[in-house]
Amino acid sequence: MPLTTVQEGRVYDWSHAVGRNAARGPGFNYVQSMCLGKNGFLYATNRGNENNFGMHVNKVQLGRGPGEEEHIADFFEYGEGDGKCTWPFGIAVDDNYDVYVSDDWTNTISVFDSAGNFLRKWGKPGSGDGELNRPAGLAVEKNGNIIVVDSGNNRLQVFKPDGTFVGKCGGTGSGDGQFNQPWGITLDKDGNIYVADWKNHRVQKLSPEGKFLMKFGQYGKVEEPEGSYAVTMFGPYVAAQSETAGYPKPGTLNHPTDVAVDPDGDIYVTDWGNHRVCVFDSEGRPICNLIGDAQVLSKWGQQTVDANPDMAKARRRVKSLEPQYRFCFPTAVEFDPATDSVIVADSQRNRLQIYKKVRDYSDFQANL
Amino acid sequence: MAHQDDIALMAHLMRRAGFGAGRDELEERVKKGYEATVEELLHPETQPEVDAYTLLRYQPASLLPGGQPPMGNVNWMYYLVNTQRPLEEKMALFWHHVFATGNSKVDNYDQLLEQINLFREKGMGNYRELLLDVAKNPTMIFWLDNQQNHGTAVNENWGRELLELFSLGAGNYTEKDVRECSRAFTGWTFETKIPRAPYGRFPWKFEYRPEDHDDGEKEFLGHKGRFNGEDIIDIVVQQPACGKFICRHLYNFFVADEPQVPAWPIEPPQDQKAIDTLVGAFRDAKFDMKPVLRTLFNSDFFKNARFKHMKSPAEVVVGTLRLVGGHELPKPGIGELSMQPTYMGQDLLNPPSVEGWHTGKEWINSGSLMARINFVAEKVGDTSLPGVQAIIGRLKQRGSLSPEQLVDGCLDQIGPVEVGADTKQELTSQAKEWGQISWDNGNAQIADQRVAQMLQLIAATREYQFG
Repeated sequence: MPLTTVQEGRVYDWSHAVGRNAARGPGFNYVQSMCLGKNGFLYATNRGNENNFGMHVNKVQLGRGPGEEEHIADFFEYGEGDGKCTWPFGIAVDDNYDVYVSDDWTNTISVFDSAGNFLRKWGKPGSGDGELNRPAGLAVEKNGNIIVVDSGNNRLQVFKPDGTFVGKCGGTGSGDGQFNQPWGITLDKDGNIYVADWKNHRVQKLSPEGKFLMKFGQYGKVEEPEGSYAVTMFGPYVAAQSETAGYPKPGTLNHPTDVAVDPDGDIYVTDWGNHRVCVFDSEGRPICNLIGDAQVLSKWGQQTVDANPDMAKARRRVKSLEPQYRFCFPTAVEFDPATDSVIVADSQRNRLQIYKKVRDYSDFQANL
Repeated sequence: MAHQDDIALMAHLMRRAGFGAGRDELEERVKKGYEATVEELLHPETQPEVDAYTLLRYQPASLLPGGQPPMGNVNWMYYLVNTQRPLEEKMALFWHHVFATGNSKVDNYDQLLEQINLFREKGMGNYRELLLDVAKNPTMIFWLDNQQNHGTAVNENWGRELLELFSLGAGNYTEKDVRECSRAFTGWTFETKIPRAPYGRFPWKFEYRPEDHDDGEKEFLGHKGRFNGEDIIDIVVQQPACGKFICRHLYNFFVADEPQVPAWPIEPPQDQKAIDTLVGAFRDAKFDMKPVLRTLFNSDFFKNARFKHMKSPAEVVVGTLRLVGGHELPKPGIGELSMQPTYMGQDLLNPPSVEGWHTGKEWINSGSLMARINFVAEKVGDTSLPGVQAIIGRLKQRGSLSPEQLVDGCLDQIGPVEVGADTKQELTSQAKEWGQISWDNGNAQIADQRVAQMLQLIAATREYQFG
């Protein structure tokens, strides 16, 4: 189980995990999406559930390495009225540090300041211009406009920060530029748009004007390999034969949820249903896959275990902790150029897994 | 247009082998034919699977729900409401009644859901294979303490229930058989699972520990040998009592209410001939469930058993939700919706004991009856729901309705439901207070309401509690 992935001139080194299962406070609760703000802050939308009603946004200071994470604030919690949510989904931060969050049940976009104070909201249900149907991912353009993945209407809509409708593109279908319940979105340094076309099992790249440029990915999944350990009924499968036997071939996707692009143009896709992050080059050619390597507990996770001796005792009796290392339905991915980090929201495990893209890697002596 | 008797028979089949069907579906199925519909139900693989990914997009916590309700219930309710393979889901409900395991002890809804999935996948397969899978199922092992059943210290919990409640029934084995059976299952356990903190739930995995197995000679139901658990299952399924026990369960679940299981050793089946027919099919098919179910659904005793079965709370809730529509997507509030059977006395994934639920008239008490009526009345009274609109639309085509026509039309569209003369008179007398209803001249809203109110009244009748 190597912690370093080396493939085609790229090196990804597993760094650390952040998080634990928590409805509020330090931890996460079924992250649907996330975004990086300024100064190393990360914002995540948490779906919660109908027992803990832990729907909220949390703001976390990631720091530069293991153990530096700090929980800063929770806001946009479950409830009715301004500043409250039902189903928080997409999230983005603009240059003024304002935070935009979509709610895919109330069909609204709420705006908060960086401390989580409610500023304004817009949106109403429908399919007309400016109307929303299950809004998902959000992105902020260089000019400050907000792109909303209007998932139920299978289109993108652009709004000014005050909610004024600017434009739209897309439509229902599987053709170029069409969508089927899209989820996440990101922009590259040139403003090109990448959309995780969830039920079409692909990623589409559009120009800043919304013109179709490229698509990549095709549907693929694996059946449970013989003798493997199914972490859930839908995988991941920890296969006895080899580390990769539980995953489909490169380039295939199963309900992709999010995209990130690094400064080199490499593209990261959370392949949700296949429990991995697929790395593609700028032309959409598959490079390698990250499957989750959390061999060390997160800081908050370790605190939980330390406070529960029975958990610690049980962990020492487990034959293999490998199922815990793996991603389980990862929903969101970000690339942080400041730290060369690939940050993955490992949704069912309520944590982030962070990899470093190592640029000056030199191989070790083979005869060690 | 389909003959009314054909519609009524098809409605009966779909209520029992599924969770009911709307009128459009019933008419389509009548066109297809009764036996062809039975075959479709018996071959779920010909219909699409439930789209679990949509559930997990909107309610991700329903995948590994842990030990607190309602997210486990949400998961199963989503399948029950959306399945296009109704008999597959009904068989999962059936087997979870027979092989009852509960969250009250297991404290892992995710493990219970895994077991439901086993019933979903193998519930119409071979009973022997299913029994073997259940014996290896970690949820069952924990539920009946078989991880504490050691070669040097026998725990009889699993061994006893295997014989008493899962295969033969009380009176068909001795205490010595229980002991010997339990010895044969020593060493059948599970690996230590990764604990729930800090990252949520992980599954158990079956483990056989030969060093903990009692490999000595055993004497079980007249057979001698160094039996292991699988040998015990092979002996059990060959017992005449096994077929009788499983087939009586099938009769009680699908045909007509029988006394509760503990009474079976002293109360004979109400239709011994029907049980014998099913047992014959069970034996001839070498314990394959599909031929038994085919025999059951195509039999006269099944076709003649309309409204001889008290609807279970799951049948009330799921049947209503599928009838009225609009609950296919996992909306906010699905947690509360998923707990409705619990409020009526059937906590899905958490039966009261290893014996399962007490069925038939025991579903009804003053509290559960009110819960049933209020739930159904609220749903069928909501004229914004597509299934209610469809009923209204069909009645509207008739132009205007006399009080008698309103009663008959609503009874027909919500079932068809058959009611006694007294009930019919009560319903008609209420309808007469409303007079002739019509959708003309701005009366549409009132007419819609009258239909919905009549549906609510029907839902409150004694007869509506039977399926």
